[in-house]
Amino acid sequence: MQYLLPEILVAGSALLGLLAMVVVPKVRGLASWVVLVGFLAAGVDAATMWNVTPSLIVYNSMAIDKYGITVTELVLLAGISTILLAWNAEHFGEEFPVLVALSVLGMMGLGGATSLMPVFLGIELLSLPLYILAASRHTPEGGEAALKYLLLGAFSSGILLFGMALLYGATSTLIFVAYPGIASHAQVWLLWPGLGLVVVGIAFKLAIVPFHMWVPDVYEGSPTPVTNLMAFGTKVGAAIILLRILAFGFYGQAGAWGLLLGYLAVLTMIVGNLLALPQTNLKRLLGYSGIGHAGFLLVGIATHNIQGAQAMMFYLLPYGLAAIGVFAVIRLLEQGQDGDRGVILSDLQGMAYQRPWLATVLIVGMLSFAGIPLTGGFVGKFFLMQAALFANRPGFAVGIVVGTLVGLAAYLRPLQAMFQRDGVSERVRTMRWSAAGVMVVAVAVVGTIGIGVYPAPLVHIVSQSANFYWLKGG
Amino acid sequence: MLWIGLLGIPLVGALVVLLLSERAAKVGAAVVAALEIGVFAALLGGAAPSLNLAWIPAWGVRLHFAADGLALFLLGLTAVMTLVAICASKASYGRAYFFWILFMEFASMGLFGAVDLFLFYIFWEAVLIPIFFLLTGWSGEKGRAAGLKWLIMNLFGSLFMLIGVVAVAVIHNQTTGSLSFEISQLTNLPVSSFAAPWLFGVFALAFAIKAPLWPFHGWMPDAYGEAPAPVTALLAGVLSKAGVFGFLRVMLPIFGAELHAYRTGLMIWVAVSLVYGALMALRQTDMKMVSAYASLSHLSMIALGIFSLTAAGILGATFLMVAHGLMVGSLFLILGVVEERLGGREFNGLMGLNRGAPRLATYFLFFALATLGLPGLPGFAGEYMIMQGLVVHAVGFAVVAGVVLIVAAWYMVRLFQGIMQGRPDHPAVADVNVGQVAWLVPLAILVAVIGVWPAGITGHAVPSLYHAVHFAVAQGGIN
Repeated sequence: MQYLLPEILVAGSALLGLLAMVVVPKVRGLASWVVLVGFLAAGVDAATMWNVTPSLIVYNSMAIDKYGITVTELVLLAGISTILLAWNAEHFGEEFPVLVALSVLGMMGLGGATSLMPVFLGIELLSLPLYILAASRHTPEGGEAALKYLLLGAFSSGILLFGMALLYGATSTLIFVAYPGIASHAQVWLLWPGLGLVVVGIAFKLAIVPFHMWVPDVYEGSPTPVTNLMAFGTKVGAAIILLRILAFGFYGQAGAWGLLLGYLAVLTMIVGNLLALPQTNLKRLLGYSGIGHAGFLLVGIATHNIQGAQAMMFYLLPYGLAAIGVFAVIRLLEQGQDGDRGVILSDLQGMAYQRPWLATVLIVGMLSFAGIPLTGGFVGKFFLMQAALFANRPGFAVGIVVGTLVGLAAYLRPLQAMFQRDGVSERVRTMRWSAAGVMVVAVAVVGTIGIGVYPAPLVHIVSQSANFYWLKGG
Repeated sequence: MLWIGLLGIPLVGALVVLLLSERAAKVGAAVVAALEIGVFAALLGGAAPSLNLAWIPAWGVRLHFAADGLALFLLGLTAVMTLVAICASKASYGRAYFFWILFMEFASMGLFGAVDLFLFYIFWEAVLIPIFFLLTGWSGEKGRAAGLKWLIMNLFGSLFMLIGVVAVAVIHNQTTGSLSFEISQLTNLPVSSFAAPWLFGVFALAFAIKAPLWPFHGWMPDAYGEAPAPVTALLAGVLSKAGVFGFLRVMLPIFGAELHAYRTGLMIWVAVSLVYGALMALRQTDMKMVSAYASLSHLSMIALGIFSLTAAGILGATFLMVAHGLMVGSLFLILGVVEERLGGREFNGLMGLNRGAPRLATYFLFFALATLGLPGLPGFAGEYMIMQGLVVHAVGFAVVAGVVLIVAAWYMVRLFQGIMQGRPDHPAVADVNVGQVAWLVPLAILVAVIGVWPAGITGHAVPSLYHAVHFAVAQGGIN
C-alpha cells in the first residue's frame, strides 16, 4: 500500500483543501497552499520510489514501475504549474485547486493502470473536474467551452466504455496486460472493434485528427491555467495509457494497428499544424499546435519499437515545458489591462523592446515547439525520427518533417508580432509580473534549454521508464 | 582548452553584453570579439587541438570539435569578420543586436569545428536563428518577410537533411551494432542503391540552399538586401561558406562514391549556377544585388572546384572560401557605407562619388579588384587553383569558368564606374571617417597578405585535405 502514497497524498490534499474551505473560509488561498504542498510531497515521494522493484498491485490492476513514476512526475509538473498560474486568481473560486488536484489524481492513475477499469476511472476522474474548471470564469464563453467539452467528453467516454465491454467479451478479463497471451485465440469479431473503439475513445482525449474538433473552442474559452492543464496533463495521461495498452496489451497485433496509427499520426501532424497557421488568438493557436504535437506523440506509438516508446515519453517533457512557458506568458499578459479577454497576436506588439524578458520566454517556447536545436523540442523530434527510421518507416520521418515545416510559420508569427516597431500594445504596457508566474517561466525556460543542451539525463530516464517488458513475466 | 575558449567566449560574451547598458553594448561586443581573435591566434600557434567529450552516450553522440586544416581558417574568418562587423555596426542598434551577432559567432565556430554529425546539425540550424531575429528586428520594411523566407527555406533543406543524418547513423548501426555520429566513422556505409541517391540528395539540397546555389537562392535577394550591411557581410562572408563547407566536411567522407558517380551532373549544375550568378550580377541596378549575385557566382566557383574531385580543385576551393569571405564581406561593408551616404542603393548611370570621397573610392576599388580576381590578390590565387583542377579532367568546365571570370571583371567594373566615376554634379558626400578606416585598413592588409602569400593558408590546409582527396580518389578511382 505504501506504493500508492503519492496518489494518497494528492487525494488527501484535495480533501484537506475542501475541508479548509469550510472550516476556515476567511483565510483566502489556503486550498491552493494545501494542494501545492500535496503535489510537492507526492512528487518527492514518487521520486524516492524510483528504484523499487516493479510489481503489480490491487489484483493486477495497477503497476508500480518507473513508467508510472515518470508519468506521475510529469502530471504533477502540469498540476503545479496550473496552481501557480491561477495563484491569487480568486474569481476562479476557492474550489479551483481542489478540482485541479482531483484531475491530476486521475492522470496519475492512468500512469499506473494495467487494467481497463483504472483506465476508465482515470479518464473520468481526469475529465470531470476539467468540465467544471473550464467554466470557472463564469462567462458565456467559459460556459460554452465547458458544455462543448462535457458533451464531447461524455460521447467519447461512451465509446471508450463500449470498446472496453467488447474487449472484455472477447478476452473475459479487464486486465489488459494479460492480453498478449489471450488475444491470439480471442474472438476476433469482438476484439478488433473493441480495440478500435478504445483507441478512438482515447484519441478524443489526445486530440487526434479527426477527433480534434473540440480542442480550439475549449482551449480558447477556458481560463488560461485550465487550458494549461488540458494541454499538458491531459495529453500526458492520454498518450501514456494509449502506449501502454497498445505496446503491451496488443503487442502481437502491431502489424495491424502500427501502420494505421502511423497514417493517423501523419494526418494529425499536418492538419493540426496547417490549421494553426491562420490563427490570431494565441490560445487557439496553441490548441491547434497541441493537435499537431499529439500527432508527433502518436508517431512514437505507431513505430512500435522501444525507441518509439522512449521517444514519445521524452517528447512529453519538452512539449509540456514549452506549453507551460507560453501559457504563463499569456497569463501574465492577462494580468494587465483587459483581464481575461483572449490574447491575440496584435497584443504582442512591441513586446520585444518593452518587455525583453517576457519576449525571451515566448521565443524559447515557440522555438522549442518548432523544434529548433538547443531547445528540448529539437531533441524530441530527433528522437522520434530515430525511432521511425529504426522501425524502417521513412514515411513517418517525412511526415515529421512536413508537419514541422507547416507548423514553423505558425510559431514564427507571434515572434514577428513581438518585433513590430510601431508602438507598444496596451496589454504589454500594463502587464504585471507575479512571483508565481516568474517561477513557472523560469522552470519552463531553464528546462527547455537544459534538455536541449544536455539531454543525456532525460534520455537515460526514459530509456529506463519506457522499458515495461518486466510485465511479460508477471 | 582552446576549444572551450573559442566557443565559450562568444557565448558567455553574448550573455554579458545583454547585461550591459544599451550604449556600452557595442564596445563590450567588440572586446569579446577581439578576445576571440586572440584565442584564434593561440590556436594558430600551437598544435591543432581537439575537444572530445561524451554528450549523449545512449546515442553515441559526442561533443567533438577539431580545428583541422579545412576548418582552421574558416574559424579565423569568422573571428575577423565578426569583429569587423561589430565595429561597422551602429551603437544605436542596442544590446540585443550585439547579443545575436555574438551568438552567431558562437554558432558559426561550432559549425566549422564540429566533426560529429549530430553536433554539426545542431550548429547548422543554430546559425539560422540569429539571422532570423536580426532580419526581423533590425532591418528594412520587408525585413520580417525576408526573415521568414530565410528561416523557412533553410529549414526546409535542413529538416530533410535531418532524416539523412539519422538514416546514416541507423545504417551504420545496422552494420556495427552501435550508434555513432562521428563523421570519420560513417565512411564506407553499405547504403542500398535505392536509398543512396535520396540520402545524397537531402544533404546536397540543404547545403545548396544554405550557400545558396542556383536554383535554391530564393531567400538570398531579400535577406541580403534587407539586412543591415554588417549582417549582410556576415551572411555573405561567413555563413554562405557553411553550405560549401558542408560538401567538404560531410559529403566527401560519407558520400565519396556518390560524389564521384554524379560528378558530371553536379558540375553541370554548378556551372549553370556560376553563369546565372554572373549574368544576374550584370543586369542589377541595386548595388547590393550586384554583390549578392556576384557572391552566388563565386560560391558556384568554389563548388565547381570541390566537384572536380582533384587535389588542386579542392585546395583552391578551401582557399577561396576564406579569401571570398574576407573580400565579399568587406565589399558589403563598404556598400553599407555608400548606402548610408547616399540614402539609397540604386545606381543609375554614373554618380561620380569619387569627387567627394576619394578615399572611399580607393578602398572600394581595392576590394572590387580583389573580388574580380586580379592577380596578386587572393581571388586570383583561389580561382587559379580551381582552374588547374578543372583543366585536368574537365576542360569544358574550365572554359566556362574562364568566360565567367571575364564577366566578373565586367560587372565589378560596372559597379565601380556606376557609383564612383562620372559626372561631378552629384551632391557631395562625406568621405570615410576615422572609425571606418580603423577596420578598412586591417582588412585591406589582410586581403593583400593572403593574396601574395596564399601558401600561408594552403600550407595548413593541405595535410587534412590530403586525406579527404585521397579518400575521394580511392572511392572513385581517379587520379
